[in-house]
Amino acid sequence: MTFASERYASRRDTLAFIVCLLLSVAARMTPAAWHDRVSDGLRGTLLRPLVAMQGWAESVRTTRRRFARVVAERDSAVVVATLAEALREENAQLRAVLGLRERLPARHVAAEVLHQSLPTDGYTLLISAGSRQGVRVLAPVIAPGGLVGVVRSVGGSTSVVVAWAHPDFRASAMTADGAVFGIAGPYGGADPGSLLLELRGVPYREELIPGTRVYTSGLATGEGGIYPRGIPIGTILSVGEEMAGWARTYLVLPAVHPASISHVIVLLDTRVELTGAFAAPQP
Amino acid sequence: MNAKRGAYRLRAVLLLLVVLHFTLRPWLGDPRPAPDFLVLALLVYALRARPGGAAVAGFTIGLLGDALTPVAFGAGALAHTVVGYLAAWGKAIFFAENLAVNAGFFFAGTWVRDLLVLVGGGHVQGTELVWQLLLWSPLKAATTALVGVMVLLIFRRWLAIRITE
Repeated sequence: MTFASERYASRRDTLAFIVCLLLSVAARMTPAAWHDRVSDGLRGTLLRPLVAMQGWAESVRTTRRRFARVVAERDSAVVVATLAEALREENAQLRAVLGLRERLPARHVAAEVLHQSLPTDGYTLLISAGSRQGVRVLAPVIAPGGLVGVVRSVGGSTSVVVAWAHPDFRASAMTADGAVFGIAGPYGGADPGSLLLELRGVPYREELIPGTRVYTSGLATGEGGIYPRGIPIGTILSVGEEMAGWARTYLVLPAVHPASISHVIVLLDTRVELTGAFAAPQP
Repeated sequence: MNAKRGAYRLRAVLLLLVVLHFTLRPWLGDPRPAPDFLVLALLVYALRARPGGAAVAGFTIGLLGDALTPVAFGAGALAHTVVGYLAAWGKAIFFAENLAVNAGFFFAGTWVRDLLVLVGGGHVQGTELVWQLLLWSPLKAATTALVGVMVLLIFRRWLAIRITE
């Protein structure tokens, strides 16, 4: 460890700086497959104890929160007669969070989201499940509210998920009745609605009213397709763009916000229908 | 204080910050405004190191950050390299023992890091970039500066830093 005995940047300092800059630029320009290999390697070696520590901290935090919730429920039971309605509502919310796993007709793994400090956190998510838990690349990732994204790379005990907010994300989507299809992707507009999705390529003759729910279509699942049918993607907000006489693009309010979720479920089977697994949205 | 003991103490403080980043940070709620202990460790190191050493430390921290958030691999390394180098270089030229100046140093370092990651990555654009740079990054920079001031106050002897009010 060097200390600043001289308070100026020497030629050696400048050289070190330039080398590091060049290495950074080289890393930035290398192919994505190489990024994933290096990232997986670093997470499996140098970062492994640190990520394990973070996973442990997340588990403890969750356990404490659940304990507090149980204590609160116990206390609530004392005044159940007066608070029956509130308790029912709370229970409904708890079931929504905890019950999804029971309703899923597919093999799955639950994982914690290990949020990072870089401002790009939310475009990808690091989760606390990897190949040891059976996670594989291109496995769909969901939360109690709906679709989160897809697994991009898998390490031993962690995986990287590309969330729907990532510019590369696309999913084949449909309405609940299966009458209208389109492609869902992140909305890249330059207004505060940039935390939205958009549904592209909806035929001009089909009109979707605000409030219509959008689900994954499950097209070609198991034959190159990724997402099983019936995972909520979001709710139609408004028409975003019209391609004269040909197709419309709709803005979609996402069912899940990647930056604010703490737990996800990774689906290990994709040839399933999930429409019945998700609770209807609260009015 | 001899240099060897000083180096060990600095390492201990840096290690503490790294551990806090992975254990305390998950407890602080929304991760967007939560303090970034890793960039703080880099800036504390830059207070004591030569610019070249701080650049190498920045590159290492940035690369590890990129491995955890591989949205724009290399952007984090680039940003931390620049911040580490400039922080050590700037500290050498505009050295101050004032607590407010140090807080500003931590704030600016964190905000500039976010700016470079976002611009270098190129994934965040338009109003979302503005929101990130004018809301979330300043909030994170402020909480990081607050923690940084606390670290300086608590460990000023270990870090051999004289602080005036």
